[in-house]
Amino acid sequence: RVAASLSTWLALQPGTRTLRVFCTSVSLATCSTIPSPHTAERTPRYKRLLRRKALPSRVEKMTVDQDWPSVYPVATPFKPSAVPLPIRMGYPVKRAVRMAKEGNLELLKIPNFLHLTPEAIKKHRKTLKDFYTDWPAALDSDEKCEKHFPIEMDTTETIYLKPQSVETLRVKLSSLNLDDHAKKKPIKLVGERYCKTTDVLTIKTNRCPLKRQNYEYALYLLTVLYHESWKTEEWEKDKIEADMEEYVWNSSSSEKNILETLLQMKAAEKNLQVNKEELLATKEVEEYKKSVVNLKNEGDNENTLSQYKESVKKLLNLM
Amino acid sequence: RRGVSFRLQALRVCSGRHPCAVCCPATMLNRVTRLVPRARQLDPGRFLHGGPQGPQGLAVHLDDRVPDETPRAGSRPSEDDPAGAGEQREDRHYRIPLQDLPTVFAHGLPQYQHYVCQVKTFHEACLLVRRPALELLRHLDGTNFAHPAVRYVLYGEKGTGKTLSLCHVIHFCAKRDWLVVHVPDAHLWVKSCRGLLRSAYNRQRFDQPVEASSWLKSFKTANERFLSQIKIQETYMWNKRESTEKGRPLGEVVEQGLTRVKNATDAVGIVLKELKSQSCSGAFRLLVAVDGVNALWGKTTLKREDKSLMAPEELALVHSLRKMVRNDWHGGAVVLALSQTGSLFTPRMAYLPQELLGKEGFDALDPFVPVLVSNYSPEEFERCIQYYLENSWLQHEKAHTEEGKKELLFLSDANPGQLERLCAYL
Repeated sequence: RVAASLSTWLALQPGTRTLRVFCTSVSLATCSTIPSPHTAERTPRYKRLLRRKALPSRVEKMTVDQDWPSVYPVATPFKPSAVPLPIRMGYPVKRAVRMAKEGNLELLKIPNFLHLTPEAIKKHRKTLKDFYTDWPAALDSDEKCEKHFPIEMDTTETIYLKPQSVETLRVKLSSLNLDDHAKKKPIKLVGERYCKTTDVLTIKTNRCPLKRQNYEYALYLLTVLYHESWKTEEWEKDKIEADMEEYVWNSSSSEKNILETLLQMKAAEKNLQVNKEELLATKEVEEYKKSVVNLKNEGDNENTLSQYKESVKKLLNLM
Repeated sequence: RRGVSFRLQALRVCSGRHPCAVCCPATMLNRVTRLVPRARQLDPGRFLHGGPQGPQGLAVHLDDRVPDETPRAGSRPSEDDPAGAGEQREDRHYRIPLQDLPTVFAHGLPQYQHYVCQVKTFHEACLLVRRPALELLRHLDGTNFAHPAVRYVLYGEKGTGKTLSLCHVIHFCAKRDWLVVHVPDAHLWVKSCRGLLRSAYNRQRFDQPVEASSWLKSFKTANERFLSQIKIQETYMWNKRESTEKGRPLGEVVEQGLTRVKNATDAVGIVLKELKSQSCSGAFRLLVAVDGVNALWGKTTLKREDKSLMAPEELALVHSLRKMVRNDWHGGAVVLALSQTGSLFTPRMAYLPQELLGKEGFDALDPFVPVLVSNYSPEEFERCIQYYLENSWLQHEKAHTEEGKKELLFLSDANPGQLERLCAYL
């Protein structure tokens, strides 16, 4: 038994191959003559030596153009003797390389998709072809798919201690029927679940035990969000400038300032018959408004600042 | 001993706020030690500079003289008439005559001691004429005094020369007989003030007698001639017994503020108010120049009686200055410079207007003309080096060579402040 454990220990070490090769050099002929001092229950030595003899692993017999799906037809754990790739994995000890694949526990722990190579998938496809229905001919572009099916649902199911599923619902807010206020409200309500660059709202649900329940809950959340965003609550009237998502120029202090300045300038030129709307509608004020909005929304950079400078110079006749 | 002190100076600067390209490379220290024996041979006056202390720097340059004069290697400053700004070309230097200095820089440059020392060492105050300053001067020349005062804001990274550009503009306006209201560093008014008093005029606000009286003193020196000409338009009661009648010269208000320190802040407020209202009448041109203007809308480190931090609007000085930089008056201009150095609770790398002014400041100053002050262009850098060589400021043997110049350019990244510090060791 000591020898057996020793051999398994040796098997786990890298470089056991050499050790095994060494073992096989001992011929069978000699072992039967050696009397075994052990009891009859222990395996006789020759059998032990046979067991220790290393068979060449399957990898050496594999050709390059073999049929891989037959080696790994289903999802099985990683078998170093069956995978012909020189993979190394693990944290290296100082000044050493990572552990090789033989006896590597790390490679066993991770999931592998060796049973799902493109070849294997092609085979699956061929077999499943009879069960397919046709892709609808009308949906031949991405835009059409989005237009008719704006909501995407993804399901992730895991079984670990208990079965659980995570439903992810993705929808573009532009495909929903929302007006100005209704567009801003759900963005504030959902917070991080909305991505500004792609305009996609993502709702993830995994509270319910069953897949179907999660699916229905996600749809329910979307419906509630939609209806709530159309409603306006009383406390929404208290929205102040700091809550605004974007800088709004109308009725801002910038507008007031520029109006005052322009009025003073006109008064200095003895031109009192101007009204505010006319003043604000000039091209220079438009440009100024754009530059201020840019400056506030994008922050300071060379572009926005130079634009602002030019517009102010034009407005105040400083050229 | 001088050698030791020199080295200690070099090490002292290294603990400063700036990423010190100066002391870290071992080469610089070697140069310092090698220079020491040479220092003893030179005129001690050359090396008696106070050592680089201030954070901002704008190197000061010499101008190329008119060709018919004796050509020298390098250049001497041309005449000092900033009023000839149209004739002033870029990358030139001009000199402020020494007799003008007390009036132009009456307030001193508190954050900029080493420029003052440099002036003392070279016995002349030279400023490089650079594009931002020229732009400002051009605009000021063409100001329409009937229109509301335009605000110009100088902004830029640290050490690029905002303060000295501001000084250039001040000198220009002073030469043209404008009345200059110069606040050298608004940051000084929001931190480390002693002797805060509750304002008698408005119980909600606080007075700062020390700062107000020192400002009044320098204001008086700078604008002596105007103080007797301008007459106040209202009667001001200081207390039950003292008052200043309508029609008295402004100088009396200033005197009152200087003699009775308790009323100094109110005196400042009155002076500013009067100047603002009277500049509209056209009797004089008014230039309001404030450095570190972002202090007015930032935070303070001053505490009330209950140890809570004050907001800047609770300080009477800040309140009156804020009113001054608004554009509801005409007959002058407002030139402001932002400054991160000395500002409170702002990140070190911040230099853009919105970052330093914040939302409140931006809205208060809007619309303004932002003027960027950047590092030296290659020509300006060349000029700077020429000036230093001309004044024998750079003593290192390699300073004349192309390689030496390239090294200086690399180490300072054409930043005027850094260059000035580097050259201080050479």
